[in-house]
Amino acid sequence: MIKIESLTVQFGGVRPLDGLDGEFNAPICGLIGPNGAGKTTLLNVLSGFVSPVKGSVSLDGVPLRSLSPVGRVSIGLRRTFQQEQVVGELSARDNIQAIADHISGSRHAAREEIDRAMDFVGLTGRANVPGRLLNLYERRMIEIGKTLIGKPKAILLDEPGAGLNETETEGLRALLLRIPDTFGAQLILIDHDADLIASVCIETMVLDFGKLLAFGPTRAVLDDPVVRRAYLGTA
Amino acid sequence: MTHIEETQPARPLDTVTAGVTPTTRYVALIAVVVVISGGIALTSGGYWLSNFTQAYCMALTLMGCALLYGQLGLVSLCQWALLGCGGWVALRVYHWFHPPFFVTILAGGVGASVIGMIWGLPALRMRGLYLALVTLMLAGAFQTLITIMSFPVGGPGFLGQVPGADDRIMMARPIYAAGDTAYFLFVAFVTLLAILLVEVHRRSKPGRAWALISKNEQMAMASGVRVVFYKAWAFALSGFLAGVGGALLAGLFGQLDASAFAPTDSIVIFIGTLLGGTEFWLGSFLGGILTRFIPALLIDFNVNTYVGFLIFGAALLLGLRDPVGIGGHLTTLVERLYTKYILRRGS
Repeated sequence: MIKIESLTVQFGGVRPLDGLDGEFNAPICGLIGPNGAGKTTLLNVLSGFVSPVKGSVSLDGVPLRSLSPVGRVSIGLRRTFQQEQVVGELSARDNIQAIADHISGSRHAAREEIDRAMDFVGLTGRANVPGRLLNLYERRMIEIGKTLIGKPKAILLDEPGAGLNETETEGLRALLLRIPDTFGAQLILIDHDADLIASVCIETMVLDFGKLLAFGPTRAVLDDPVVRRAYLGTA
Repeated sequence: MTHIEETQPARPLDTVTAGVTPTTRYVALIAVVVVISGGIALTSGGYWLSNFTQAYCMALTLMGCALLYGQLGLVSLCQWALLGCGGWVALRVYHWFHPPFFVTILAGGVGASVIGMIWGLPALRMRGLYLALVTLMLAGAFQTLITIMSFPVGGPGFLGQVPGADDRIMMARPIYAAGDTAYFLFVAFVTLLAILLVEVHRRSKPGRAWALISKNEQMAMASGVRVVFYKAWAFALSGFLAGVGGALLAGLFGQLDASAFAPTDSIVIFIGTLLGGTEFWLGSFLGGILTRFIPALLIDFNVNTYVGFLIFGAALLLGLRDPVGIGGHLTTLVERLYTKYILRRGS
């Protein structure tokens, strides 16, 4: 469970996050908002890449502020990035091994976790293919596979569906729905695809100009006229 | 109807080379070094053999430079100075304790590694131009210091200096590598071990960590990689390789000349690294030979050695345009021929 209290981030005269409060309790939560709403900034605060000027964030009751980004990984926080980050020179398996090297307990545990993650994302048959030869969907799967290593507690996914076509998005949707039960991790999903958010997220937070616009059950949030006007551009 | 995007068709080269096991690669690497070194030992002597021995020592230094630049994008302009540090420590240890030659070499490597780390640690949070400048300052500082201190020649005290040139004691080579050819083969053996050490690093945990750091430091941290630690590791390994090169160079001549460690030589080492290529071990090997042989050939043809700077300047432009380097192109060519052979055999 991720808890956010009075979170304020300031870059010079700009406040990408302004007194944000919220508690992600559902297994899969959405985080939406127009461009510049502060979604990625929130993920960066949670990951430890941005320090807030005020407020706090915690994961399962553990305050994150004093932890380094690596320390946050060790307590079970995982994330992906808006721009996919698969290393072209490493094979599909080595891309996942690269995180297992640092967080899996032993070589044996690492091997098992990698096999499980590769199987889960459906890339076992592509294990030795260099990252540069994988298509976008496969690279996104590798990114998700990386987050499944080492008993993750919360996985922050920054637009995993960006650039995917309908069938690929369908595959992604089915995969995301299985993660909480299979790996026991909570998902926080940023995406601009309202259909994807509506179909997988139980609750959703909407940000606008760094402030909380709405937060609650996804369907109710997406039907909220204020949200529709600010985010979806319809009344 | 949309469908899952087709995988980018793999080129035959990728398909075949992806199937090559690490063991095969290591065997090929050993075979190439053995054949080249054996050929040199059988055909060269005197001046050229000495140049090849120096080229191998330089290749070790270039290997460290290539490791930093190719794996992490770190520009280190102090590799020649670190070679000097390794040479100094090796000479110092030799004149104090007369340990077995391998221990002397290791001492040189560890010494340069430690000195490089002490200087480099504060700079490891830097990248690009800033790190380049800080490391170039180390090269400058080393030149000043070594001009004052000079290299130990068997005298008393920490500095080990003697009053007259005739009192100098040379560092002896090991009995099994006393002759020039034997010493060259010994240096080739150490170079081979160093190449294997780097290759093992590149293909294991540190190599994968370096690959993540090179791609995106934030992503690396989000993958649990301690970025400064792994950068420091690369810096230490790079310093170690340069130090081993310095110790071997000291073994070749029995002493080292303090006037031969100008900061510009560290820049030449970096250029040689780019020219040879940073992604493949062969690049450092060829870069070392070129870096040593361009000045040697200029001397042989009675051309002013400063012309070498013009050549290296032009090479830098080439190297920056084509980071794969000569080693990369040669490796790709060999892989292509191997692929053709495998495909032809398959059909």
